[in-house]
Amino acid sequence: MAESLRNIRAIAGKELRAYYSSPVAWVLMGLFAALFGYFFIVYLDSFVRESMGGQFGQAPPTVNVNMSMIRPLLGNASILILFVLPMVTMRTYAEEKKSGTIELLLTSPLKDGEIILGKFAGAMAMYLGILGVTLLYMSVLFIWGNPSWQMVLSGYLGLILLGAGFVATGLFISTLTSNQMVAGTASFVIFLLLWIISWFGESAGPTIGSILRYLSITEHFDDFGKGVIDTKHLVFYISFVAFGLFLATKSVDSDRWRG
Amino acid sequence: MIEVQHLSKRYGPFTAVNDVSFRVEKGEILGFLGPNGAGKTSTMRVITGYMPPTDGKVTVAGFDVFTHPIEAKKRTGYLPETPPLYPDMTVREYLTFAARIKVGSLSTADRNTRVMNVMKKTFVDDMANRQCGKLSKGYRQRVGLAQALIHEPEVLVLDEPTAGLDPKQITETRELVRGLAGSHTIILSTHILPEVAQTCSRVVIINKGKVVAVDTPDNLTHQLKGAAILYVQVGGTQDAAAALSGVPGVRQVRESDRHEEFLGYEIEAEPNRDVRKDVAKAVVNNGWGLLELRPMRLSLEEIFLQLTTEDKQTAAAAPVSPDATTVVEQEANNG
Repeated sequence: MAESLRNIRAIAGKELRAYYSSPVAWVLMGLFAALFGYFFIVYLDSFVRESMGGQFGQAPPTVNVNMSMIRPLLGNASILILFVLPMVTMRTYAEEKKSGTIELLLTSPLKDGEIILGKFAGAMAMYLGILGVTLLYMSVLFIWGNPSWQMVLSGYLGLILLGAGFVATGLFISTLTSNQMVAGTASFVIFLLLWIISWFGESAGPTIGSILRYLSITEHFDDFGKGVIDTKHLVFYISFVAFGLFLATKSVDSDRWRG
Repeated sequence: MIEVQHLSKRYGPFTAVNDVSFRVEKGEILGFLGPNGAGKTSTMRVITGYMPPTDGKVTVAGFDVFTHPIEAKKRTGYLPETPPLYPDMTVREYLTFAARIKVGSLSTADRNTRVMNVMKKTFVDDMANRQCGKLSKGYRQRVGLAQALIHEPEVLVLDEPTAGLDPKQITETRELVRGLAGSHTIILSTHILPEVAQTCSRVVIINKGKVVAVDTPDNLTHQLKGAAILYVQVGGTQDAAAALSGVPGVRQVRESDRHEEFLGYEIEAEPNRDVRKDVAKAVVNNGWGLLELRPMRLSLEEIFLQLTTEDKQTAAAAPVSPDATTVVEQEANNG
């Protein structure tokens, strides 16, 4: 057990170092910060207008920072990571296959699961770094406003779980090919599908519709954004991640059989 | 130390390795000789646990590589054909990472010492802080070797360690490998015959996935000398073939190249007979100039042609035993 943890940590550390020694990490963080910042200013602007209106008694004084700022911002972040995470996960395994370094990992005394968990942890750390940038914007709200702690915390928990689901799926897809572009494109398509599957749910019959809505990975995020932590969503995300990692581990093993 | 029993590896319908068996004793250097595509890399990948065998069994230091992969891998160092380096890491970072994943528990100080020692051993310490992606081919190969040595394995598997190196680097690498014998058991693959003669204590020849011969390099080169071919360059443009054929001990003369000033011939002699003196005498006595006279080394491909095409049945029936060398001789006699 201790040995497994050590191995996982060694691989996660190597992964994280690889992100930051190339421009990828900085570009992704910058891109995410810029887009999130754009939304932040748009919502802040309309929020300020609304509350000004409230002061003059023209609009009902129901505006509050939680509903007008935090909720839509986190909702937008959940869409943004859909575009950003394929770029994080596409290289995880495909690159090692392409460059042949996978031979080092597979002939070292490591279990397949340790390799996958290490890579998952490394990609998650990278994702948390990207997400961490948004805390700067959030702190502005806390300094000049009085937002609900619970809502922010549950929102971020939701973003982390949603991201973990994407990362696990992207990692699995990356084990299937030695071409990073293929892995990235396929991941993006799959993520998109996992998101819009709920739209088909709207038009399908009640039974199939509820199944499709259940499968939609973003559908489960909504409650977190409202400040509600529901165990059913926790269970969904945790099993989603576990399933993705399981598939990735199996894929490593089956790759070995195919040689 | 390494035992390969009836190993087969198939990729779909293609059979890369077909019922290969051999043993490597402790401290031995075994040369694994074969043309490209003979199944060397596949065999090595099974031994190192990179992929499972389709059939058969491999044990390393008493551990079955399929049922006890972790134990076997702890005792095996592997240098693949392309050294598995991360281009963005420095040599030191890379070896530290290799130490982390290969050696269970080490204090940071111990790990650093180990990395330092292995860098000195493989002569890469002067490049410790250089990125792996910016190293020359020779350094890359040696960093790959350092990686294979970092966990002080009992068994070393080296896939063409001298491929693509310049002559000086080749000599250095061979010396390095020879120095590792004794404390390590080594399997080394190559398609260069003299390399085996210089480094290995025993040779397994493999072709099309099958073992064709197992012997010591001395025996092998001795047998192969039987089929030696001489190259002679004779001044002038007259036909010297008839005169050369008349030399005692010469079996066959073939004109190989024709120039304005001279002609080149390939002379095949009877096995174990040195005809150089007589050939030289024949040329000089006829009043032609003797411009060049040298033995032509049989390339491995030619040996394989001899071993495999001439008499398929003999080659296929060749057992994995000293008898196999007689096949070489028979084939040579068949010419």
